[in-house]
Amino acid sequence: MTELQRLREAFRTALDLPADEPVDDLRYQDNEKWDSLAHMSLVAAIEDEFSVMIDTDDVINMSSFAEAVRILGKYGVDVK
Amino acid sequence: MNLLHPSARVVDAATGAVLTPAMIDAAAAEIAGHPIVFLPMPSTVEAVARYLAALRLEKPVLLLDPDLDHTALIARYTTDQVHPDLALLLTTSGSTGDPKLVRLSRAAVLANAGQVADSLGITGDDVAITTLPLFYSYGLSVLHSHLLRGATVVLERTGIMQRDFWAAVGEHRVTSLAFVPSQYEMLRRLRFDPSRYPSVRTLTQAGGRLRTDLVTDFAARMDAVGGRMFVMYGQTEAGPRMACLPPSRLADRLGSAGLAMPGGTFTVEDGEVVYRGPNVMMGYAETAADLARGDDLAGVLHTGDLGHLDDEGFLFITGRRKRMAKVFGVRINLDDVERHFPVAAVAGDDKLHVFTSGEDDVRALRSKIAEWLGTHFTGVDVRTISSLPLLPNGKTDYRALEASL
Repeated sequence: MTELQRLREAFRTALDLPADEPVDDLRYQDNEKWDSLAHMSLVAAIEDEFSVMIDTDDVINMSSFAEAVRILGKYGVDVK
Repeated sequence: MNLLHPSARVVDAATGAVLTPAMIDAAAAEIAGHPIVFLPMPSTVEAVARYLAALRLEKPVLLLDPDLDHTALIARYTTDQVHPDLALLLTTSGSTGDPKLVRLSRAAVLANAGQVADSLGITGDDVAITTLPLFYSYGLSVLHSHLLRGATVVLERTGIMQRDFWAAVGEHRVTSLAFVPSQYEMLRRLRFDPSRYPSVRTLTQAGGRLRTDLVTDFAARMDAVGGRMFVMYGQTEAGPRMACLPPSRLADRLGSAGLAMPGGTFTVEDGEVVYRGPNVMMGYAETAADLARGDDLAGVLHTGDLGHLDDEGFLFITGRRKRMAKVFGVRINLDDVERHFPVAAVAGDDKLHVFTSGEDDVRALRSKIAEWLGTHFTGVDVRTISSLPLLPNGKTDYRALEASL
C-alpha cells in the first residue's frame, strides 16, 4: 500500500467511514463524525500507522485531510 | 427568573456575535404562544437567547441535542397543562431510546446556579468557554453559574482538539475550563500546559469519576501556575451539582467526590447516597400528564450511587445500585441496551462494552448501538464471543465478561 492509501485507511477507520468513501477532501468542521473524540482516534491511528509522534500543535492543526498530508511531511512521511 | 445578571456577556467565538437584550426580547415574542418550548440547543447566541426568553416568560423549556431527531419525544410531551413551578426539562441519559425527563423547578435551577458559583468563587471577572453541549446538564450548569454572577460565557463549537478552541481561550482571556473524564484524557494527549494560557485559573471536572492519577496530574499542572482544580459530583436530577472537592483538600481526600454544596447535605442510607437540598428535581416525567405534577421528592434525592462519608463529611462514591455505564459523562442503563440489542453489556472506563455471540457485522452493530444511544461510536466497544459465560443460576456472568476486557 502507498502512503496515501495508508493515510486514507487511517481516516476511514478513525472516522468509522465505509471502505470506498472518498476522504481526500475531508475537513474537520464539515464532517459530523469528525469531532474531538474521533480526532483522538485519528491522531492515534496516524501515529501507529506511520510510527511517528505528533506534536501538540500539529495535533490541533490537523483540521483536514490535506493538513494531515502536510503535517506528515514534517515528520518525514511523503504522502503521495 | 433572574438567572441573567445585567453584566453577564455571551459571545460567539467564531462569529463575534454578542447576546443582546433585544435578541432575548425578539425570541420571547416568537415563543410567547407556546405552553412548552422544545428547544434544540446548539452553542449559539440565538439558542441561548431563546432559552433565556423561555426562562423569563416562565415557560418550561426542554433542551434537545440539535443533531438528533426528536419528533417522537416532542409528540410524547406536547401538552398545555404544565405545573407553574416547572422551568427546565432535561433528558436523563442523552439516549434517544429513553424518553424519561428530569423536571427542574425555577427555584432549583437558581439554587444550583448559586451553589456552583459560590463553590467555585465565580465573579464578574470570570470568563468561561463552552467545552460541553448546552443541552447536557454539566455544560448548562457552566452557563447558569457564570450568567448568574455577571461573568462572560464564550460559545465555541469546534472543541478542544482544534486550534480554533485554544485560540478562543487566548483571545477571550478565558479563566475557567470545564471538562469530563474523556476530555482530561485528551488534554493529557495534548500535553496541556496551563502556562501557555495564563488567563486560565480554574479547571473543573464532573460527569463521572476521573482516575485519581489524572486528578493528581492536572491539579499539579494548575498548582504550578497558581491555579486551581475542582473535582465535582452531581446528577442531572440535582440540577445538576451536589458536591465539590475544595482544591485545598484535593490531595488529602484524593478520590473523594467532595463536600455537599452550600445548603445541601448527604446521608448514606442502606449504602445508598441520599442528597437533600434546594436543587433537587421535582421528579421525573414519563408522559405529558407528568408535566402538570408538583414536587414529588420534597428535596430528597436517592442518587442510586453507593458510597460512604468520612468524619468531615467528604463523600466517596464506590459504585451504582443499578447496572449503569457512563460514557462521555452520559449515563447509560445497561439493562436498556440489552433490551434493545441481542448483546450482553458491561461498563468500562468511560466506555460501553458489548458482547455478541451472533454473526452480526461488529462495526455495523457498534454504529447502530451508538446511534440509538445518541453517543459517539468510539464510546462503544463490540466484541464477538462464542458463547456467553453463565452463572449457576443461568444468568449472564458479568464479572467474567468484565474480567475479559
